[in-house]
Amino acid sequence: MNEFDENDIGKLLRLKRHEQPPPGYFENFLHEFHRRQRDELLSLPLWRIFLQRAQDFVFRLNVPGLASYPAAVTAVLVCAAVISLKVHQGPGNVNVAAQNQAPVVATGIQDAGWSLSSPVSTRDLGPKLLRNVSYSSHTHRAATPPRYVLDSTPVSYEAALRF
Amino acid sequence: MNPAIALPSPRRFTDLLSSGLRSRGKPKGNAMEQPRSDEDKQLVSRTQGGEAGAFDELVVKYTPRLYGLVYNMTSNHEDTNDLLQDVFSKAYKSIGGFRGKSSFYTWIHSIAVNMTLNFLKKRGRRFHLSLDDVDASIQNDKEFLELTATSSPVREADLSELQRRLNEAMMKLSDEHRAVVTMFHIQGMPHAEISKILRVSEGTVRSRLFYANRQLQNYLEEFRKNPVS
Repeated sequence: MNEFDENDIGKLLRLKRHEQPPPGYFENFLHEFHRRQRDELLSLPLWRIFLQRAQDFVFRLNVPGLASYPAAVTAVLVCAAVISLKVHQGPGNVNVAAQNQAPVVATGIQDAGWSLSSPVSTRDLGPKLLRNVSYSSHTHRAATPPRYVLDSTPVSYEAALRF
Repeated sequence: MNPAIALPSPRRFTDLLSSGLRSRGKPKGNAMEQPRSDEDKQLVSRTQGGEAGAFDELVVKYTPRLYGLVYNMTSNHEDTNDLLQDVFSKAYKSIGGFRGKSSFYTWIHSIAVNMTLNFLKKRGRRFHLSLDDVDASIQNDKEFLELTATSSPVREADLSELQRRLNEAMMKLSDEHRAVVTMFHIQGMPHAEISKILRVSEGTVRSRLFYANRQLQNYLEEFRKNPVS
């Protein structure tokens, strides 16, 4: 025989099946497995244990298989919510919102003096702006509250001409 | 659900061992005994239902087979022990997601092979052989008797020398080739099963096997010429 042929190689390698671990190894393997699992579990933080339990529960219920239905329902609800929001934000509503806005008038009220009765628009915007406001307080704008006119009618502070 | 929490009672544990070890290690013919798939399905199903003892039965059943697989890929007993513990731990954590598309046999072997290949990549070339003893039953092995009768190197070398040479030759193969050789020659798996476990085509398995055999022939040529070194 000149060299090992493929058959001989196979036979030689099959002899490796006779290499066996020490006696009692397989008998103790399960005990060792339990011990390691216990050690691993004890070393985990509590939240991870809860997470694992939750995952086990989810897998047992086969929730991933049913996940498509709630996902579809959620998608429909989100779409409905987006559409309804767009419908409610029509141009008329925008004008009404502008009409109800409080006029921006800078006064000398300090931040500390804020209350429910003093709106946000009365915030102190600084001494420079305050000076301008006191200058303009001699004009009719100080006495006349601003008026807003809906849609096409221009906003004006002038008194209407009467003949 | 955790096997560490639900330890089996001593009496049941003995039953487990006796039933599991019946299918253990001793080679019979060319192929190792194939486990019954329907029995595995039941055990998997019971494990998924929260019965930790069912997974214990799977551990006992598959430990000898997987030990052989991992040991012959690493040639180191301690590494094999650690890897095998990790393999079963991973299998236990993942068994909830096991949907039975392949058999449990294929699934657990895939985990074992992949984890071993990853380990071998990390280990690199820094390793030492830590070999198990050759069982005394080899003296009655038909193939061994045949080899010692016909092959002069095997006849002249003592058993430990033969074991060392074989393991060294195996370790010269690449990890992927060694995996195929282990599963085919030592574990007696058919090409189709190996291709499923490795997720490669049967052609790839045959090609790797052919190449590995050629390499082993070369590596063992020295042993053939000079059986006692």
